[in-house]
Amino acid sequence: MLRWKYSRPLLGIIVALLAVGPLFTFGPLHGPGLQQTLAVAFLYGALALTYDLLFGFTGLLSFGHALFFASGMYLTTIFVNTSHINLFLSSFLAIGITGVLAVLIGSASLRTKGITFAMVTLAFGEAGHVIISRNFGNLTNGENGLPINADRIPQIFIGVVNTKYLYWLALVTLIFVYAAIWWVTESSAGRVFSALRDNETRVAVLGLNPTRFKLVAFVISAVLASGVGVSMVLVSGGSAPRFADAGTTIALLLMVILGGAVTRWGAVLGGIFYSIASTRLQDLSQSTALDSIPKIIKGPLSEPAFTLGLIFIFIVMFAPGGLSGAYYRVRFRYLNRSSK
Amino acid sequence: MDTFILISITGIGLGALYFLVASGLSLIYGLMGVLNFAHGTFMSVGAYMGLWFSTQVVHTTNTWTFIGALIVGGLGGGLFALIVEQLVITRLYERHIDQALVTVGVALVVGAMLGGWFTNDLRLLPTPTWFINIVKVRGAIIPVDRFLYIGVAALLLVVMLAILKFTRIGLIIRAGVENRHMVTALGINVRLAFSAVFFLGGFAAGVGGVLTAAYQNGVSPLTAGTWLIYGFIVVVVGGMGSIGGSALAAMLIGITKQFANYYIPGLGDFVIVFLLAAVLLTKPQGLLGKVSA
Repeated sequence: MLRWKYSRPLLGIIVALLAVGPLFTFGPLHGPGLQQTLAVAFLYGALALTYDLLFGFTGLLSFGHALFFASGMYLTTIFVNTSHINLFLSSFLAIGITGVLAVLIGSASLRTKGITFAMVTLAFGEAGHVIISRNFGNLTNGENGLPINADRIPQIFIGVVNTKYLYWLALVTLIFVYAAIWWVTESSAGRVFSALRDNETRVAVLGLNPTRFKLVAFVISAVLASGVGVSMVLVSGGSAPRFADAGTTIALLLMVILGGAVTRWGAVLGGIFYSIASTRLQDLSQSTALDSIPKIIKGPLSEPAFTLGLIFIFIVMFAPGGLSGAYYRVRFRYLNRSSK
Repeated sequence: MDTFILISITGIGLGALYFLVASGLSLIYGLMGVLNFAHGTFMSVGAYMGLWFSTQVVHTTNTWTFIGALIVGGLGGGLFALIVEQLVITRLYERHIDQALVTVGVALVVGAMLGGWFTNDLRLLPTPTWFINIVKVRGAIIPVDRFLYIGVAALLLVVMLAILKFTRIGLIIRAGVENRHMVTALGINVRLAFSAVFFLGGFAAGVGGVLTAAYQNGVSPLTAGTWLIYGFIVVVVGGMGSIGGSALAAMLIGITKQFANYYIPGLGDFVIVFLLAAVLLTKPQGLLGKVSA
């Protein structure tokens, strides 16, 4: 009986369809354009999920999460480009160093709580962004970003014909992160994380150290984010400062709220939706369809942040729980009716 | 010695701009517990109002029109803050995280609107000709506009402290920062104080928006974010809800940043984050913050 709770037949079918999609010469997943878009979307879904562990499950509102994502990206790129170690080892080094960084930053900022914690992590994240964009030590190539040396990575990730391998890489990353977050949140430590979010004092009264558990959640989500960063280096062909700025963390927050926190699949869906929507809205704004609309409306509409921000405000004010929350509300209403 | 004076005074000038952003943030957080991510847009709205006044309404550029732009920018920022407060913040009463989230949404939407209407390029704000003059203070050559920033910020600091100290609404605000529930229990309408704080904070941010536009030679919706982050840092270092703490922290951060940037260009931002970490590790409530708040 207990096993039924964890089985997701629909999820399995969707993942299987997505996985075999590029193999067929017909169907929508054949073109490299959509494969690339979806690869980026999957990675943002995975990244949103790591943020959900922090914000949704543990109740830590961090504004510095992008720092760990970017540190995974930049460290991998720098190791691959400048040293003689291969991609595999470089990514492990990058993830390991990010983990140490997360322990340091986490233990400093977790001395504060709530909104102050949000501001402190914002400051750390911004410091990271400044280091990257000002090109300290001539490592990051400043505002121009740092492309990865194509000769030093496996050739199956190079070229438009091979976009499907990037697509699969992103899908595997997403599945791996999903499994890891699932395992963490269903473990006994995961129960403590949720308890910390709901009532920290009671956790402390039960004899557990709140700060230590928060640090564990902080470091796990940072390490997973840096892992997503490694895949993002391959998918986007290098690192860029925009992955490190506060806007990226705010986008993550939007994704989690949009899809609904604490349900796991909600965050993934929010990330995928946000990523696709922001690219599509950008394309839409350059199309001629909007030409007849007066500039006073067209101007804001040409910025994806306008539409996504409005949706975000609406969800926060009137539909807390986002997409997955709405789904569960409908489903429980249906279940209640059928049980009567 | 003259370099020392130069860096100190430009540092205080920068700190004055930080104070204008941080004072409102600090009061709003102290009284209502709202982390206001829309504060940067209050600056932008103020700056565009000032730009509108000094290019569309008046066509000359002298000291009086700049003062007019400051007042129009301040009123624009304040009224806009009031609208945001009435439309979204009051609907989410006591839901602090949601209030912070909704201000993020407001910042995105309004930033995109400004960007869509006026483009994201830097637009030049006309300033009086004496702005590029210099004065000599004991051998140090100092741009005269820095004194203007310091003067305006000092004036607003005095006005705010006077309002907090001598008016009835100021009394309610101070009591509310201390213990909001007790004030409500005594039958006093705190909502009015909330609106007052948003207007005051928006006014300071709007004035700050016009001054930063003069400081960085133009107006753009994209620059507000950086100032907002410094505002947050100042608020945390100074202590939530304390105007005096904000002023002190703003000076400290402005001067530290200028000195660090003088010795190693680009180091300033980095040193400030270390300063922030050091303050938090030794005094988590900020320099002048109260322990319980």
